[in-house]
Amino acid sequence: MSAAHSPRRGLESAVRARKLTKVFGATTAVDALTFEVAAGAVFGLIGPNGAGKSTTFSMLAGYLQPTHGSVEILGLAPAAVDALRGRVGVLPQDAVLPTTDGVGAFLVHMARLQGIPQSQALESAKRALADVSGADWWTERCGNLSHGMAKRVVLAQAFLGDPEVVLLDEPTAGLDPRVAWEVRQSILAKKGRCSIVISSHNLNELEEICDAAAVIDRGRLVAAGSMAELTATHEEIRVKVASAQGATKTSSVPLAALRELADVKSVDLDEDRLEIVVRFDGGRADPETIIGRVLRLLLDQQVRISGVTKGRGLEKRVMEIT
Amino acid sequence: MSPLSEVSLVTWREVRKTFQSAKGGALAAISVLGGGAASMLVTWVDRLRREQLPPGLDLHEAQEQVFSRWYGQPGIGKALAGCPYALWMMLIATLWLVPLLVALMTFDAISGELQRGTARFWVVRARRSSYLLGKALGAWLSVLAVSLAMNVLVWTTAAAVGRQNPLYIVEWGLRFFCVVVPVAAAWCGIAVLVGSQLKTPMLSLLTICATFFGFWVVHVTALVTKHEWLSWAYPSAYDSLLLSPDPADVGRGLLGTGVITALSVSAAIIAFDRRDL
Repeated sequence: MSAAHSPRRGLESAVRARKLTKVFGATTAVDALTFEVAAGAVFGLIGPNGAGKSTTFSMLAGYLQPTHGSVEILGLAPAAVDALRGRVGVLPQDAVLPTTDGVGAFLVHMARLQGIPQSQALESAKRALADVSGADWWTERCGNLSHGMAKRVVLAQAFLGDPEVVLLDEPTAGLDPRVAWEVRQSILAKKGRCSIVISSHNLNELEEICDAAAVIDRGRLVAAGSMAELTATHEEIRVKVASAQGATKTSSVPLAALRELADVKSVDLDEDRLEIVVRFDGGRADPETIIGRVLRLLLDQQVRISGVTKGRGLEKRVMEIT
Repeated sequence: MSPLSEVSLVTWREVRKTFQSAKGGALAAISVLGGGAASMLVTWVDRLRREQLPPGLDLHEAQEQVFSRWYGQPGIGKALAGCPYALWMMLIATLWLVPLLVALMTFDAISGELQRGTARFWVVRARRSSYLLGKALGAWLSVLAVSLAMNVLVWTTAAAVGRQNPLYIVEWGLRFFCVVVPVAAAWCGIAVLVGSQLKTPMLSLLTICATFFGFWVVHVTALVTKHEWLSWAYPSAYDSLLLSPDPADVGRGLLGTGVITALSVSAAIIAFDRRDL
């Protein structure tokens, strides 16, 4: 192992992209993207179709060479396959499993290639498959698996051998809701045990799983930060009021009184959505305190409440900025 | 993990995959059955030929003349004069068949995995050079396995219906098979170079076949225009050197096929290392 490729353990950043750019002919798919993924975090790459998520992901995984800029995975270039062996797992989007291989044989082969000794490869492969609830498919041919089963086998190979960094490109794309939920649970079970980068346009999924994210649009970074920062959970709450017959009329919402509450900066009423948006000074009060104050006031005024959320939701935030 | 271990893992998986797939199995079966049928035909023709030879003709001398004319070198004619004629005919057939076998067995080995994205599972775990080298070696071993099976069938048939000692047949059979080994490697190298540039298996097959045909055209042109040096670009042309009784010629044959193989595989590795997957 050369000095240039020697792994640097104890890094704060698991993934680092600096001015990452990819140009295809006359099209700039990714334009000077810079972001970092903290070690141990679950990080989302967010953006609409064609935003450049998969291109960025492919450069992180080493499938594509950046036109400009650089990528570091655990302090190393993705091309340093030998130094990164067994430390990085990848779930590539739309990659088809080798149809003639048995599931077990495929996973054992992957385990052997990533440096797991022959004596442990079988056990590692079985454990990885069991982790995605696929222990029964060991003898199945990959070509005979349903889309959902294949996706979970691909997920199993990504987490094989407990890598330090796992890159997942659209892990639940095309799955029915139940299988998607199961895949999400499999990913959540790994949270805290490795750094995970997920590229997806399923914003609800990312909001549920991720600690931080970068929002990309037309190849450019338009926002990045912790999920709390992106969704403003420390600066905003939303209270949905009931709209059933005989229920609250929006005119009965005490907007003036709400604005007078301590630490509240502004209050708006979205009449179409029957939603009160309360923005507050996150540096002085936490959202739970504000929720308590707001609800107390509303209940005193006989306002019927159907729901409370912290922040504006990732979906809403992304719609605003892309 | 050393590159050698990576290559070895990819190679053996490739060989397994080839014979597990319907295409590989069918090709192997067709080749072996076809080889068997051809060997029976060749042996029958050989026996007929011997029976119809004018009395008093020295077969050894006749074969020496035939081979001397074929290869244009009296030395080779002398060296091959005693060989079982059926086996020599099978060598010629195999040298013609090998490029076809290589094309059919390698066209989707890389392009298919690029098209389906399957290669992405490998390139995060193995150096791209190891992946490509493993693919090339896997293809070569698969082609050799099928060729050997075909040849063993021919040896068996020749031993059963011929008048020669089975050990003598096996000895000549192995000698002829050794000619096929480096030639097949060169064809595999070229096929891997072409196949690894394309993402569509059908396009890969057509391009490999067209490339092989191009090599043949160059070879024929070289023969017709008496530019012998040009014919050395054609891997199957090395049979005359590889069959020569002169070790220096055999060395030149091995060097020539080795250079074609090394250049093709190296070019494939350099291009594959830089390409986007």
